[in-house]
Amino acid sequence: MNLRYVAGDTYVHRLDPRSKLFVQAAVAVAAFAHTTPAGLAALTAFVGGVCRLAATPVTASLRSYRAFLPFLVAGPLVEGATVGAPWFVVADAVTPALASYRVLLLLLVSTAYIRTTRVRESRVAIQWLLPGRIGVVLGAGVGFVLRFLPVLRDDLATVRAAMHARLGAERTLRERIRLIGVTGLRRVFRRADRFALALQARCFAWNPTLPVLSPTWRDGPALLVAVALLAWAAV
Amino acid sequence: MTTATDSVELVGEEATGNVARAVLFAAATSATAPVDMVHPLAPNVPITLQTLWVYLAGVVLGPLWAGVAFTLYLLAGLVGLPVFAGGNAGLGVVLGPTGGFLIGFPLAAMTVGAVAHGLDGLTAPDAIPVPRLVLALVAGTAVVYAAGAVGYALVQAIGLVAAVSAVVVPFLPVAGLKIAATVAIARSDAIVAR
Repeated sequence: MNLRYVAGDTYVHRLDPRSKLFVQAAVAVAAFAHTTPAGLAALTAFVGGVCRLAATPVTASLRSYRAFLPFLVAGPLVEGATVGAPWFVVADAVTPALASYRVLLLLLVSTAYIRTTRVRESRVAIQWLLPGRIGVVLGAGVGFVLRFLPVLRDDLATVRAAMHARLGAERTLRERIRLIGVTGLRRVFRRADRFALALQARCFAWNPTLPVLSPTWRDGPALLVAVALLAWAAV
Repeated sequence: MTTATDSVELVGEEATGNVARAVLFAAATSATAPVDMVHPLAPNVPITLQTLWVYLAGVVLGPLWAGVAFTLYLLAGLVGLPVFAGGNAGLGVVLGPTGGFLIGFPLAAMTVGAVAHGLDGLTAPDAIPVPRLVLALVAGTAVVYAAGAVGYALVQAIGLVAAVSAVVVPFLPVAGLKIAATVAIARSDAIVAR
């Protein structure tokens, strides 16, 4: 599992999360603007450099995205296929194939972000980006989701195990979906009620004290790179 | 070192309850993402229950908080929690081939909520007439698959027809099953107890 924060001391770890988000967005814009063999080759070199700076292993990261493989392969196959001879036109499949490769590059950049940024830092970045109450709800909410993710994963695994123990796999698909929905919903409500009470007991407020983000001289090069990428995309 | 002198402004009771429910719905959606089941007719199409939670959020939370729940889900994935299908995360996924579906989730949840409840106030889920409930769920399904197909076509640089045949058609029978299941859930005591 490569998709989580890994403590470290690299250049990318020390960047302000906002700079990292900006670079990430700039890479995406540049990749969409230059989906050509030359453009993607240049970006490959850049992304390789980013992964090196962020101490992100490339092959292991790509392996954790293997669930995407069918979608990435399906694009070129569906577009290149024809009904009747010659069955497959390579020229038609080139553009979707380049697009699939672009997705791989973007996945790598976001892996580097995830591995170098604490969720708490991201929360502050969200509240900086979306000021006011919306930012508070979304920023705090992301932290809460992190807290409840393993709990609910466990809940639903319990539900499934209980279903299997009672020969649930023999039931129709609709019935199984309904059972998971009903029991899952009961757990969600029970936990939500207790959680709301706990939040109130701990003075859940619109204006909590958060860590302060302070950009340093290190963010200069990162911002320049992002601006350069955007300029390249605009050409 | 600065000192804040503002007084603490507490979040009200109702809003706190809604935040808690939105969070739990987002977490439940994330928890179902890696769970897939096999369809007897199409064993190569994994079924995740994410859209079931989209439907349920719309029906139970209403348009506003269902939208918040799935915006939270999307943001949680963007900042790196492994909440997307297969335990993935990051901007790369949202800009990837299935990103259209993810962006469609908040829109679909709001659509389901808006059609089922209207825009002023919530109705108890078991008091929504079945035709209206089904209409809401079909509308939500249309939104999520339209967003998914457009996203897939843009990202993979292929035509809309090819995109629809690749990512919409195989999943439609399962979507029908989920709609039927949601209607049954909305009529069950899991929600009536609220």
